[in-house]
Amino acid sequence: MIRIALAMARIGGLVVVFVAVLGGMALLTATGVIVDSGFRSQLPLRLVQAEVMVSARQSIPVKEDLPVALPERAPVPGSLVGVVREVPGVAAAVGDLSFPAAVVSGTSPPVPGGPATAGHGWSSLSLSGRLTAGRVPRGQDEISLRDGRLGERLRVVAGGRPATYRVTALVDAPGLYFSDAAAATLAGRTSGGRAGTVDLVAVRAAAGVSPDELARTLRQRLGDRYEIATGRYRSDAESPGAVAGRGLLLVLPGSIGGVSLMIVGFVVGGGLSLSINRQRRELALLRAAGATPRQVRRVVAVQGLAAAAPALAPGAALGYFLAARLGDLLVGIGALRADQPLVYGPLPAIAAALLLLGVVRVASWAASLRVSRMPVVSGVADLGEPSPFRTNAGLLLILASLVLSGAPLAVRTEAAAIGPATAAPLAVIGLALAGPRLVQRAAGALARSRFVARLSGPCWLAVHNTHGHALRTAGAVAALGMVVTLGLSVTLTQTTLAEARSAQAAPAMRGLVTITAPSLSGIPRGLLEEVRELTPAAGMVTTTVVTGPLAFADNPRLTARPVLGLGPDAEGLVDLDLVDGALSRLTGAAVALDEQVGRVGERLDVIMGDGARVEATVVATYRRGLAFGPIVVSRDLAAAHTTTGLDSAIMARPAALAPLLARWPAVEVTGATQGPQAGVASGQALVNLAVLAVLLAYLLVAVANRLVATTTARRDELDVLRRLGATPRQLRRMIRWEAVLIAAGASGAGIVLAAVPLVMLGIGFLSRPVPAGPLWLVPGSVLVVGLVVWLAVELPARRIR
Amino acid sequence: MRPVVTLDRVTKRYGDLVALDEVTLAVPQGRFVAVMGPSGSGKSTLLHCAAALDRPTSGTVKMGGTDVGRLSETKRTVLRRKHAGFVFQSYNLLPAISVQDNITLPLRLAGVRPDREWLDELVHRVGLRDRLHHKPAALSGGQQQRAAIVRALAARPDVVFADEPTGALDLRSAGQVLDLLRELVDELGQTVVMVTHDPAAATRAHETLVMADGRVIDVLDAPAPEELAVRLTRLAGGEPVR
Ligand SMILES: Nc1ncnc2c1ncn2[C@@H]1O[C@H](COP(=O)(O)OP(=O)(O)OP(=O)(O)O)[C@@H](O)[C@H]1O
Ligand SMILES: [Mg+2]
Repeated sequence: MIRIALAMARIGGLVVVFVAVLGGMALLTATGVIVDSGFRSQLPLRLVQAEVMVSARQSIPVKEDLPVALPERAPVPGSLVGVVREVPGVAAAVGDLSFPAAVVSGTSPPVPGGPATAGHGWSSLSLSGRLTAGRVPRGQDEISLRDGRLGERLRVVAGGRPATYRVTALVDAPGLYFSDAAAATLAGRTSGGRAGTVDLVAVRAAAGVSPDELARTLRQRLGDRYEIATGRYRSDAESPGAVAGRGLLLVLPGSIGGVSLMIVGFVVGGGLSLSINRQRRELALLRAAGATPRQVRRVVAVQGLAAAAPALAPGAALGYFLAARLGDLLVGIGALRADQPLVYGPLPAIAAALLLLGVVRVASWAASLRVSRMPVVSGVADLGEPSPFRTNAGLLLILASLVLSGAPLAVRTEAAAIGPATAAPLAVIGLALAGPRLVQRAAGALARSRFVARLSGPCWLAVHNTHGHALRTAGAVAALGMVVTLGLSVTLTQTTLAEARSAQAAPAMRGLVTITAPSLSGIPRGLLEEVRELTPAAGMVTTTVVTGPLAFADNPRLTARPVLGLGPDAEGLVDLDLVDGALSRLTGAAVALDEQVGRVGERLDVIMGDGARVEATVVATYRRGLAFGPIVVSRDLAAAHTTTGLDSAIMARPAALAPLLARWPAVEVTGATQGPQAGVASGQALVNLAVLAVLLAYLLVAVANRLVATTTARRDELDVLRRLGATPRQLRRMIRWEAVLIAAGASGAGIVLAAVPLVMLGIGFLSRPVPAGPLWLVPGSVLVVGLVVWLAVELPARRIR
Repeated sequence: MRPVVTLDRVTKRYGDLVALDEVTLAVPQGRFVAVMGPSGSGKSTLLHCAAALDRPTSGTVKMGGTDVGRLSETKRTVLRRKHAGFVFQSYNLLPAISVQDNITLPLRLAGVRPDREWLDELVHRVGLRDRLHHKPAALSGGQQQRAAIVRALAARPDVVFADEPTGALDLRSAGQVLDLLRELVDELGQTVVMVTHDPAAATRAHETLVMADGRVIDVLDAPAPEELAVRLTRLAGGEPVR
C-alpha cells in the first residue's frame, strides 16, 4: 500500500504540501518558543549561593486558569529572617533588599534586572558574590560595586535620593552594595508601611542537607503563607517583575496564535487537496481496480505524511531562527528585557511537529473523503461540485462575522474592538468554505453575460475556466482574499484604536510636558516639589492592579491591568473629561472609573500590584476611558504598593525648566504626551503586526507555490487546446486573464469582508464610517495580490511555446 | 483530384528511433483513408505530421499548398485551424464548458463567426440537438465522440484527421461514429484520414494504408475485412508481406 501510494504521488502536489508544512512548522515552533518562554524565561540568578529562598506569594491563584502574576514586590517581615535561621539545616539566612539605584556620573554598564532593583544591602553579598578589594562599606555615604575604582567618588541616585558616595570596596557581583543600615533607609524600610520588612529571606543549607530537604522542612515550619523556592524558581522569587513581564509573552502570540493555526491548517489542507485533485484519475482507477474507499484514503494519508515528514526538521530550525528575530523585536519594544533570554527548548518543535502531523492527517482525511467515496464509474472527467453543507457553513460564518462587527455600535470600551477583530478571521474561514460556490456563481453570471460572449477566445475561455473549475480557482481566491482581509483588518483595527486613543489622550494632556527618568527607574524624590515651585505639576505613578470584570467582554475572573496613579495635584492639569466627582478627592483608598464601568460613591475591590487587597471608593468618573483605561487609582495608593515607591513621570505646564533639570542628572523632558495605555498597546500592536507580516508572507508563498503547481499541472488541458487550434500566444493570454480574474476576485472579496468590520469600528470609535489610515494599504494589498498572482502564473505561462 | 495534404519523403526521428521513415503520400480531396498497422508502427506520428500538429525531422508536408515545415508554431496553428480538423481517441472535450461551447471553441480561437446553419445541420445529423447545453461529463462516450466530430467539422476544414476515434467505444457506438464519418464523405465531400485497429472500421474507407516500422508498406483499395485481417496478422507475426 505504502509503495503504491508513493509511486502514485505527483511531485508537484506534494511539493506544495512540503512547503506548507515547512512554513507551518516554522510559525508554530516560533510561537511555541515565545509561549514556552512566557512560562520559563528568567533573569540570571543574583543570589547564586542561596539554595532556598523564602518570599511572599507573588501570584493570585485563579480557578481553572493560570495564576495572575503580581509584578510589584510584596515584602516579608524582617523577623522572618530570625525564624528561618533557627530552622535545622539552615547554615545562613539573609534578609535581602533591592531598591532603585543608578550611578549617574560617568557611564557604568547596565545592571541585570535594570536600575529598579540594582541597590542591595551588604549582607546580601554573602550569597551573591565576594569582596575582591577594599573594605566593607559602613557609613551612609559608602558604596561598593564591581566596575569602579577604590576611593572614587560617585554621584548615585539610590532609593530616589541623589547623593555622592565613596567607593570603599570592589565586589564580583552585579549591582550596588550599601551598608545594611543605609540600604534599609534607601529601600524605605525604616518607617511607613514597609518598616522592618525585607524582600525575601535567602537561605544557604548546612553541609549535607539537600535544598529540597531544606525546602520541605521550611514549608513544614512556615506553612503556606510563603513561597519557598529552590532550583530555577529562585530566580522567579528574586524578580517578581520579570515573572509578570514574561506573562505578556503568553498574551502576545495568543492574540494572533489562533489565526496562525487556522492559516497553517488552511494552507496544508489546500496543498493536500491540490495533490489529490491531480491524482483524481489514478485514484479512480485504484477504486476500479478494487480498492475500498478506506484504502484510497490511506494512500492519500501516506502521501501527505511522506511529504510532511521531511519538512519537519528544517521547519523547526527555521522556527527557532524566527523566534530569535521575534525575541529581538520584543526586546526592542521593551516587552522583553535584553538579559531575559527566550528559552529554546525542544518542546515547541516537538509540539509543533505533533500538531502539524495531526493537521496533515485530518486534512488528508477530509480532502480525500469525497474522492474516495465517488462511484467507480465517474470521477475521471468530473470536476467536482462544492457540497451544499460546506457552502452553507461558510455563508453562516460570514453572516456571524457581520453580526460581530456590530459590537462597537453598542459598546464603546476598548473591549468592543474584539468584535471586529474576531470578525475578520471568521469571515475569512467563511470565504474559504463558501469560496467555490461563490466563485462558481460569480464567474457563472459573468460567463452568461452578453459582454463575455463577445470577448475574444482566450478571454472567453478564461471566464469559462474560472467558472467550470471553480474548486480549483476558489482555493487561490480564498487564500489571497485572506491575505487582503487579515492584512487590512488587523492593521487598520490597530491604527483605528490608536487614533481613538490619542484622540482622547491629546486633549487630556494638552499643553503639558512630561518629565521622566528612565535610567533611574523613577522620578527622584524632591524633583516634583522643585518643579512645582516653577509651574503647576502633577506626579504620576504607573503600576498594575488586579480586578474582577469591569466592562463588557472582560475576563469573568481576574484581570491584571496597567493603571495610572494620579493625585489631587492632577486636577486642572490632566483632563480626564470628568462626568462626576473630582480628581481632588483622589487620596488614600480612592479610584476613578470610566463612566461606563461604575458610579461615584460605589466601592470597588482592588488587588494592588503587590497583592494587597484594598476596598477603594469611587471618587470620580470620566469619559476618556480609551486613553486612561477603565480605572485610575490614587497616587498614594499606587505608590504604597510598588517595588520602587517612586513616581514614574511628572506632568507639568511648560516653564523654564532647563536650569532646574541641569541639577538633576538623567532626567528627561518630552513634549509628546501620550496616554499611559498607548505604550503597552503600541508594543502589543507592533508584535501583532510583525507576526501578521510573517503569517501573510507564508500565506502568499504558499498560494504562489500552489498557483505554479496548478498551472504546471494543466499541461494536458493546454495540449488539447493547442490541438484544437489555440496558438501559444492565445494560451498565454488565457492564463493571464485567469490570473486577472483570480486577483480581482480575491481583492474584491477581501476588501468587502474587511470593510464591514472596519466601517463599524470607525463609526464606533472615531464617529465616522472610515477607519484610521494608512488607507493606501487598500490599493497596496491589491497590488501585492496582483503581483504574486502575476509572478506565479507568468513563470509557467512563459514556458508555453 | 487535387490533393489536400501531401507528404514528401517525411521522416520523423525520436532520438535514435525512426518513427516515420521517408513516407511519401498524397491525400486527395473527398477520400476516406484508413491507416492500419501494428502498435508502434508510426500511425499516430504520421497523422500528427500530416495534420501539422508536429514538425517532421526531414521531408516536406504541404497543407492547402503551404509547406508546413518552415512555419512557426503560431503560423502552423493558424494554418491548421483553416485546413484541418482533429478527432481524438479520448474525445478531448473540455470539461469546464458546455457541449455547444466545445463545438464552437476552435472557431472562437480562430476569431471566426460560427456558421449557424452549418452547425445546426451537423448537430442534427449527429443527433445531439438536445444535449448541447450539458457539460461533456453528462454525455455517453459515443455522444462525446460525435460532439468531437462536429467540433472537428465546425470550421469546414479540408480534411479531418481521426486517431482511433472508435477505440474507446462499444460496437454499436463505434458503428454509429463510422457511419457518420462515411456519410460526411459521401454526402458532403469531406476528406477523412482515420487511424484504426479495427479491420471492420477500415472497410468503410475508400482505401487503407498499411504501416510497419514507420513505413507505408501497402495500399489496399476497399479491401475485404478478411483480407485485411490476414495481412495484419501476418504483419504482427513479423513475416514479410511482399
Ligand atoms: N514523443 C515521443 N517520444 C519518443 N518516442 C515516441 C514519441 N511518440 C512516439 N514515439 C515512438 O514512435 C514510434 C511510433 O509511435 P506511434 O505513436 O506513431 O505508433 P502508433 O502506430 O500510433 O501505435 P499505436 O497503435 O499503439 O497507437 C513508437 O515506437 C513510439 O514509441
Ligand atoms: Mg497511436
